[in-house]
Amino acid sequence: MSVTHVDDLDRIEMPNGFVWRPVRRHFGIRAFGVNAYTASEVGGPVVEEHTESQLGHEEIYLVLRGRALFTIGGNEHELAAGQLVFVRDPALERGAIALDGDTVVLALGGKPGAPHTVSAWETMFASVPAARDERFDEAIAIHEEALREQPEHPALLYNLACMEARAGHHLDALLRLKRAVALEPKWAAEARADSDFAAIRHEPGFPA
Amino acid sequence: MSEDGYVILSIDDLDRFPGATDEAPILMPVRRRAGFRPFGINCFAAPRPGQRVIERHFERDGDEELYVVLRGEATFTVGDETFGATSGTLVHVTPGTVREAIARDEDTIVLAIGAKPGEAWEPAPWEDFHIAFAARRSGDAAAARSLIAETLARHPNEWQGQYNAGCFEALEGDTEAAFAHLRRAVELGPSDVREYARDDVDFVALRDDPRFTELVG
Repeated sequence: MSVTHVDDLDRIEMPNGFVWRPVRRHFGIRAFGVNAYTASEVGGPVVEEHTESQLGHEEIYLVLRGRALFTIGGNEHELAAGQLVFVRDPALERGAIALDGDTVVLALGGKPGAPHTVSAWETMFASVPAARDERFDEAIAIHEEALREQPEHPALLYNLACMEARAGHHLDALLRLKRAVALEPKWAAEARADSDFAAIRHEPGFPA
Repeated sequence: MSEDGYVILSIDDLDRFPGATDEAPILMPVRRRAGFRPFGINCFAAPRPGQRVIERHFERDGDEELYVVLRGEATFTVGDETFGATSGTLVHVTPGTVREAIARDEDTIVLAIGAKPGEAWEPAPWEDFHIAFAARRSGDAAAARSLIAETLARHPNEWQGQYNAGCFEALEGDTEAAFAHLRRAVELGPSDVREYARDDVDFVALRDDPRFTELVG
């Protein structure tokens, strides 16, 4: 058993303004996706604009505190504490901005008819503070931990390669990137434009 | 569900289905109301301080659960620990741990999320039975029986469904139907059914019948 308060969860400020408050990762939950989000400022994003097309997740966003202006499929809805929006269609663009300073949104998600698997984006989000402070060994360790459970996950391999390239581990980065591209060719195009690979872009075997 | 692929709800608009006694939690179905499919989500309410907002139980089928206090305040007991939980508190409980929560405040509401790791989630019969028993208590036995029949059609081989159907028919006075369900429940889960049935007050009307002793010992 473990217990915490939403205000005591880690605060991980993301580059595009919202603040991730990891719940699933905090408790080690395996059966479903659950996270909380806050905003850096009133009028700032509290749920990032995105779709769930890639993961096929159904999502529920529940306003725990404050008010948020949601935009779902181009329609705006103001939700107060105690209101929720269930977004069934994974292809719908969704996002929200905070209308109050202490707005907290709980996000729940999973894919119908499938056992829950931990989303790779959680690992990427968790490594943001370390990468931002150029503590690359820590960012690499976070990715390696996730890869122990999902060793052939292309996005995790790609992002680990990014961290290794920035850390100066060029051979590791190249091998990891090649594996990611072998598993999912779309990562070659990503790599061509990714500044994280500036140091290895001209190495023989760079998959571009 | 709107034609737009999403739906907006307020917890204040959710249906409220009382439990068997005034002390029991009130079920406010979320998953069922919204049509959410990936895992289980419900709210439980206790209008009065001292009323249970989470029933004392453990998750026999292996679900891990997260409780989120949405409104009010509750005293949780999880395993050997007892603690207060205000709005915004999150409590994670592993399947085998006994847990309960009692409201400290008026209209305390707790969100409960649950599923079994590593398995695709499917709705369990207990939600339908809670609603069916609430319908029976409100005088609508026909609606309750209809919901139970739908549930058993979806879960024909789970002892819990047959057991609860047996409880329902015993309370309704249909002894033959009650024994038919109880017999099937014993076939599907003999040790669990015998453990629960011996002391279950819902079966009071059956206890003097030799078939009850034959089935549950």
